[in-house]
Amino acid sequence: MDTMVKVSNLVKRYGNLIAVDNVSLAIEKGEIFGLLGPNGAGKTTLVEMIEGLRKPDGGSIEICGIDGLKEPAKIKEIIGVQLQSTTLYDKIRVKEAIDLFGAYYRRSISSEDILKEVSLVEKRNSYVGTLSGGLKQRLALALALVNDPKVLFLDEPTTGLDPQARRNVWDIIENMKRRGKTIILTTHYMEEAEQLCHRVGIMDQGKIIAMDSPKNLIVNSGLESTVEFHSMPQESDKILQILAGIGKIIRQDNDRFVLYTKEAPRVLQEITRVCGESGINLKNLTVREATLEDVFLSLTGKKLRE
Amino acid sequence: MKILFRQITIETKLFLRRKDDLFWTLVFPMFFMVLYGVIYGNQVWADYGMRAIDYLFPGAIVMALMVTGIMATAGGFAEEREKGIYRRLSLTPLKRSTLIIGQIFHRYLVIVIQTLLLLLVGILAFKIKIEGNYFLFWLILTFGALCFLCVGFSLTGLIRSARSATPICMSVFFIMMFLGSIFIPITVMPGFLKVVSNALPSTHLGDALRLVVIKGASINEIWKDLLIVVGWTLSCLAIAIKFFRWE
Repeated sequence: MDTMVKVSNLVKRYGNLIAVDNVSLAIEKGEIFGLLGPNGAGKTTLVEMIEGLRKPDGGSIEICGIDGLKEPAKIKEIIGVQLQSTTLYDKIRVKEAIDLFGAYYRRSISSEDILKEVSLVEKRNSYVGTLSGGLKQRLALALALVNDPKVLFLDEPTTGLDPQARRNVWDIIENMKRRGKTIILTTHYMEEAEQLCHRVGIMDQGKIIAMDSPKNLIVNSGLESTVEFHSMPQESDKILQILAGIGKIIRQDNDRFVLYTKEAPRVLQEITRVCGESGINLKNLTVREATLEDVFLSLTGKKLRE
Repeated sequence: MKILFRQITIETKLFLRRKDDLFWTLVFPMFFMVLYGVIYGNQVWADYGMRAIDYLFPGAIVMALMVTGIMATAGGFAEEREKGIYRRLSLTPLKRSTLIIGQIFHRYLVIVIQTLLLLLVGILAFKIKIEGNYFLFWLILTFGALCFLCVGFSLTGLIRSARSATPICMSVFFIMMFLGSIFIPITVMPGFLKVVSNALPSTHLGDALRLVVIKGASINEIWKDLLIVVGWTLSCLAIAIKFFRWE
C-alpha cells in the first residue's frame, strides 16, 4: 500500500502549552483515519499543520512524497480541506462558489458533478448566506472536493448539525470511502469515528495515546460488555441465586440487574437457559458492547464531551 | 491573468448584489450633489466665490473616492477577514497578491462608475462644464483612488474586529469630509482648523479637481496638491504593509 501522509515527530507550542507533542502518523491510500478527542486535545492544531495552515515548531510532513514544509504550493494542489467553520461571501451563489474555487486549481472537477456528489443540485442558485448549517457544511465539503484531492481533510464535519443533517454528511463521506478516497477527519463524536473510520487515533493533551481500528481498540481495551435486565420483584432472590451460579459481578437495585462480562454471548445463553427452565420471566434484556467512548474514558479518565 | 480577471468579475458581481454597498457608493455622494444643486440652483454663494454646485461637484467626487477607498475597502476587508474567507482561500493555490490586485482593480472600476454617474448627472441636470483637460481630470481621480485605497488598507491593520470597523472608518471618513473642504471651504475655517484641513488629502484632491474643472488649470497649478496626495499614499502604504493581517 502507498503511504499518502507521513508525519514525523510533529511539535507545536503556544508559550508554555504544548498543543501537539511529538506526534507521528502514517496514513495509507484509501484509508479513512479519524482523530478522536475532546476539545482542546490538539486535533485541529495537528491537522492544520498538516494542511499547511500553521507552522510546526518541529518535525516533518510528507504528503504523496512531497515535503509539506518546503513545497506548500504543490501540497495545495493535491489536498482538499474542510475547515471547522467555513463561511463564504453571503451573496455568492452555491454553483458560483464551486466554480470560483475550481478555477484556482490546475485540475478541477465540473461543478455539476460536485453538486450531485454533495446533493446540492437544487440549491445551486441559492445565495450562500441563506443556507442552513447542514447545507453550508455540504458546500464546505463540495469546495474541498473541487480539485479531486488525493487527500481530504475534514475538521469536525458534523459538529453542530442536527441528526438528519449529520446523517446526510455521513452518507457523503461513506460514498467517498467506497470510492477509495484517503480522508483524515477529526471528531469528538464516537459514533462518527466508529461508523466511518478504518482507523482511529485517540488524542489527549497533544499526544496520540492509542491508535487502531475502532473494533480492535474496543477488544484490546479489555473492557467488558454490559448485560442488563429487569425481573418480577418477587423473583429477585431466585435470580440472585442463579447468577451466583454463573459467577459474575452483579449490581442490583430492586428488580434491576446489571452485570459486566467479557463473554456476553455465553452469559446471555446461560441466563436465558436457566431462567427458562425455572419459568422466570425477564424483561428489557439488553446487551451493550463497550464503545469507543468507554475506551476513551478508561484511557484518559475523561469524557469525550465535557 | 485569467484568475485575476475572474477575481475582478466576482468581486464586482458581489458588490452589485449588496444593497448597502450600492447605497453608500452610488446614492450617497449623488444625494449630496443633487441636494446642493436643488437648494442653491444657479445662485453664486459668496463663501465659495462660485455656484454652490460648482464647488460641490468635485467634492462629491472626492466623497465617492472616500466611500469606496475607506468605507468599502477597510470595512469589507475586516468583515471578510473575520469570517475566515481569506483563511479558507489561503488553502487554495490562489495567490494573495492576485487576491489583493483583484480587489484594487475592482475598487478602481467602482470609482470610475461612480465618477461617470456624477459627471453625467452634473452635466445634464446642473450644467457642469469641465473647463480643463479630461486627461488631467482622470489623472487626479486615479491618484485619489490609489490614495484612499491605501488609507483603507492601512486601516485594516488597525481594525481589530468587524465590529470596530464601522466606527473607525466612519470617523476617518467624516473628518476627511467635513474638514477636507468638501462642503465647507477652507477659507471660512478658523486658523487651527485651516492647519488640519491643509494637511488632509481630501482638501488637496478637491482643490486640484476644482482648479481643473472650473478654472481649466494645467498640471503646473496642481502638482503641489498631487504631491501631498502621493505623500499620503506612500505613508499609508507603509503602514498597510507593516500592520497588514490576513487573519
